[in-house]
Amino acid sequence: MPSEETKERIIKAVELGRTVLHYSWIPFIIYVGYTRSSPQPSLIKLISPLA
Amino acid sequence: MASSPLLTKVESPLPPPAPIQPVSGSPLVNLYNRFASWRTSLGLPNPGSVENLQKEVKATHLTNYMFDGFRADLSKALSVNPMFSVTHSFALGSQTAAPSYNFGAMFANNSVFMQGNIDHDGNVNGRFNQGWTADSVTKAQYQLSQQAGHNMLQLEHDYLGQDYSINIKAMNPSPVDTTGIYLGSYLQSVTKNLALGFEVVHQRQTPEMTESTTSYLAKYTSTDKNWIATATVQPMGIVQATYWQKLSEKVDVAADLQLIAAPVRRDAIATLGAKYDLRLSTFRAQLDSTGKVSALLEQRFAPSFVFTVAGEIDHFKNSAKVGVGVMIESPSMSPEEMQAAMQSPPATPF
Repeated sequence: MPSEETKERIIKAVELGRTVLHYSWIPFIIYVGYTRSSPQPSLIKLISPLA
Repeated sequence: MASSPLLTKVESPLPPPAPIQPVSGSPLVNLYNRFASWRTSLGLPNPGSVENLQKEVKATHLTNYMFDGFRADLSKALSVNPMFSVTHSFALGSQTAAPSYNFGAMFANNSVFMQGNIDHDGNVNGRFNQGWTADSVTKAQYQLSQQAGHNMLQLEHDYLGQDYSINIKAMNPSPVDTTGIYLGSYLQSVTKNLALGFEVVHQRQTPEMTESTTSYLAKYTSTDKNWIATATVQPMGIVQATYWQKLSEKVDVAADLQLIAAPVRRDAIATLGAKYDLRLSTFRAQLDSTGKVSALLEQRFAPSFVFTVAGEIDHFKNSAKVGVGVMIESPSMSPEEMQAAMQSPPATPF
């Protein structure tokens, strides 16, 4: 069994990972899709529902 | 992000396993090779994954498609290969759910699938699938919310063998005290038509309190694949039986019977549904033993415009639900392609 200190550290790391994933997941998909798609779409098309 | 270096290289599918060679060596290896070649000679098909056991029934019934109020989906396919699209969804006027706005993004190539959704409250839903080979896929699913206690993480690995399927799953696994819910399932083709399997659910609420249950599965597919019957037995006294049949190219029917015979509750629900796939529309109708009659029509008026009407009447509770939805898909054409297609000078760049 890990010690209390290690446990604290793991919980903190999981919490940090969760926050990072929460804020970066959708920007990350858009970045990957934007850079990899062919032909590259225009940025306004990406965000606006009407364009 | 930890997964980004993984994504930069596109996985090429691994070569298929080398054919079994008659190695004259250890008797155990010999025995295994003989067993493997005997198994190959049976020519049993892969039974499909446990998750997809009732896929055809779920696609025919409209339980998963039903909605009420007004809904609008604007989806934009920005690239076809690799697939990349964004969606804006609006919903309002529902009896059960508050008005909502949802933004989704999806990216998929040959080996990776990524999908994310964010609603106006900032809750994020995500899916990430990584295919290692054609028959081995690792999946992750998460739900991240500002509120504590609404977070969910599910890790899963699917392996589809020659005549069997294995799936292991972990829901909210905690690295500190290994609490969480763990599932393992195995489905094996016994004959060309029949597949049998089981699913073990292991729950660990606290390290001291654990609980395991096993349910048993059976699936019978007709030789021409025109009808499929499945049965699931859970130890608490829950039996679910389904039947799906393709009546013609355009008509599917499905029946679902769920029996609960637990000591505290005895209940049975039967559902009967039909689906018509017409040239520009899909119509689903369903009737169940709780007194609900529902129907859903998806009509495609133009290649990029789909209009949906859903209705449900609950005869026992004397209530009704109506839903209207529109779905607009923008094509993934660049201005050059658009110009070629329309033979007119391009308008403003966007």
